[in-house]
Amino acid sequence: MRTLKGLVLSPSTDIMGYEALDFYDVDSLLTDEERMIRDVVRDWVDESVIPRIENACREGVFLDEWREEIGSMGILGAPLKGYGCPGLSYTAYGVICRELERGDSGIRSFASVQGSLAMYPIWDFGSEEQKEKYLPRMATGELIGCFGLTEPDYGSNPGDMVTKATEDGDSFVLNGAKMWITNGTIADLAVVWAKLDGVIRGFIVEKGDPGFSAPEMKGKHSLKASVTSELVFQDCRIPKDRILPGVKGLRGPFSCLNNARFGISWGAIGSAQACYDSARSYAMSRIQFDHPIAAYQLVQNKLAWMLREITKGQLLAYHLGKKKDSGEWIPEHISLAKMNNVDIALEIARVSRDIHGANGILDEYPVMRHMANLESVKTYEGTHDIHNLILGRHITGIQAFTKGA
Amino acid sequence: MKVAVLIKQVPDTTAKVGISNGSMDEAAISKWSISPYDEYALESALALQSGSGATVVAITLGPERASKALVDAAAVGADELLHIVHDGAIGSLSLQKALSKAVTRVGAEIVLAGKQAADTNSGSTGPGVAKALNYACVGLVSGIEGGADGFIATRSTPSGTERVFVKSPCVFAFDKGDSELRRPNVRGIMMAKKKPIEKISLGDLGVDQADGDVAVTSVEYPPEKPPGQTFQGADSASEVAIKLREEANVI
Repeated sequence: MRTLKGLVLSPSTDIMGYEALDFYDVDSLLTDEERMIRDVVRDWVDESVIPRIENACREGVFLDEWREEIGSMGILGAPLKGYGCPGLSYTAYGVICRELERGDSGIRSFASVQGSLAMYPIWDFGSEEQKEKYLPRMATGELIGCFGLTEPDYGSNPGDMVTKATEDGDSFVLNGAKMWITNGTIADLAVVWAKLDGVIRGFIVEKGDPGFSAPEMKGKHSLKASVTSELVFQDCRIPKDRILPGVKGLRGPFSCLNNARFGISWGAIGSAQACYDSARSYAMSRIQFDHPIAAYQLVQNKLAWMLREITKGQLLAYHLGKKKDSGEWIPEHISLAKMNNVDIALEIARVSRDIHGANGILDEYPVMRHMANLESVKTYEGTHDIHNLILGRHITGIQAFTKGA
Repeated sequence: MKVAVLIKQVPDTTAKVGISNGSMDEAAISKWSISPYDEYALESALALQSGSGATVVAITLGPERASKALVDAAAVGADELLHIVHDGAIGSLSLQKALSKAVTRVGAEIVLAGKQAADTNSGSTGPGVAKALNYACVGLVSGIEGGADGFIATRSTPSGTERVFVKSPCVFAFDKGDSELRRPNVRGIMMAKKKPIEKISLGDLGVDQADGDVAVTSVEYPPEKPPGQTFQGADSASEVAIKLREEANVI
């Protein structure tokens, strides 16, 4: 619900809400529409996420209103064109991710998975019938999607997955299990990657298909307002027309991950901005030894470091957006930005917690929540180390993922 | 039916407002938005649009930057956009004349406005435009419903809720409304980009700005609050109680 804000003209800062750090005015490089979309998502986060997120985290739930409201903003599957999708630039998609993640990484994860990991493969590799059937209702948030690639024993090494599909008359029969699946339990459909005659293929599994279940994983200390699940396939039978006809091999899931990682490189900046904003205002108002702690050199050094890293990260994300929009990019460009921006965001969250002192551990401030979230973000969608290895291979031409052979 | 909504672009209520040389420092405003009460007027206009097929014309008067307020109005569904481009201060009488002529120009019989703008808080535009047009006027309205030959306006009063019947043509000045404001979505934003904005000058409306009337002569910060008093220890409880009763008059 939108409310009338205070109608007070005041020189003081006490009525100020979140102020997004943008030291180099990078957002002035956005188009007018991109800025309008930014403001809509930012206002929504202020009104609908910030007041409810701590409670949702305590209860470990993703609120259904968030799904509805995100859907009605029309931002799901942002860069996809046609089939009821928004058809925005990749830069706009990045901006959306940044604003959502300023609220919470779990909210951004919901949108990343829906758009880049569930809608994108249907949009790029699906049949005409599949696109018509799923995409318009996924764009409005009416249908939720998830993405099943990672398995309990195969994380960074998805090529060795054991989930299998076999042909049986008019059906495919799936067997195996996926793990760490965002949106799994609340999803209406899952894009599942499984081996058919030894070749990785994509399949659409719908909620209620026989032999399919998606139990929620409990006990997370991170992404608590996001649903994380297992997907279990026990002789799960699906019609033949649920295979994604347009792709074979790891190229399928990896092309989805490229888009999701791109969004994360922007999203992490949102978390970092939130942690910086909280640290700055806390440091300005917290008095120790008769002065605000912001007056002390050690604290200023920390704030200056945050500002430096966020500014660099913003420029990385913006330039990557331009590359993505012009098509002049390689996956290694995305690896660099995802790895760097999540890394600095996590470190900024930790330093911000430090500036907040003991108060930093309370959910009155957003910093420890962001910090815990970013531990996941650092690991999912290609771990920090794997992205280093991707860059290492790019630099040397020698792959270092596997030993021997 | 044509409905005109008068919207004003003001510093966002979250933006820092500073003063330089006795007037508001516009260059330092980080964000401009539609004035909040005008948003309720716009929301009611859009309800008339979906309810009875009214055409909603958003009208603003202000410098170039004020076009953004019209684009924002288009993003939630305003059909036509009219910008009276004027840089610098304008007296309230000239403003009311200009807006009323713009209403006549677009042919609207229903005019919705906020009860006051978030920056000047003067509250004169709605009634002033009604006077200039010779339209009926209902102020401090929280909602309107179309009737057979007029409108029923809801007003909150200190003693309850009042329902007022008014024949068109009329002006409604909106207080905080009963309905939730709609949020623009991506589709609306992309459509708004394509919607033309008609730009005219005060001269085009035959308004001479020298109709001089009301002008802001200076602006200053409110006086700083005196520092609070602090008391320590259980012994001070009786002193605090006495002060609360005799100085603050709260107990």
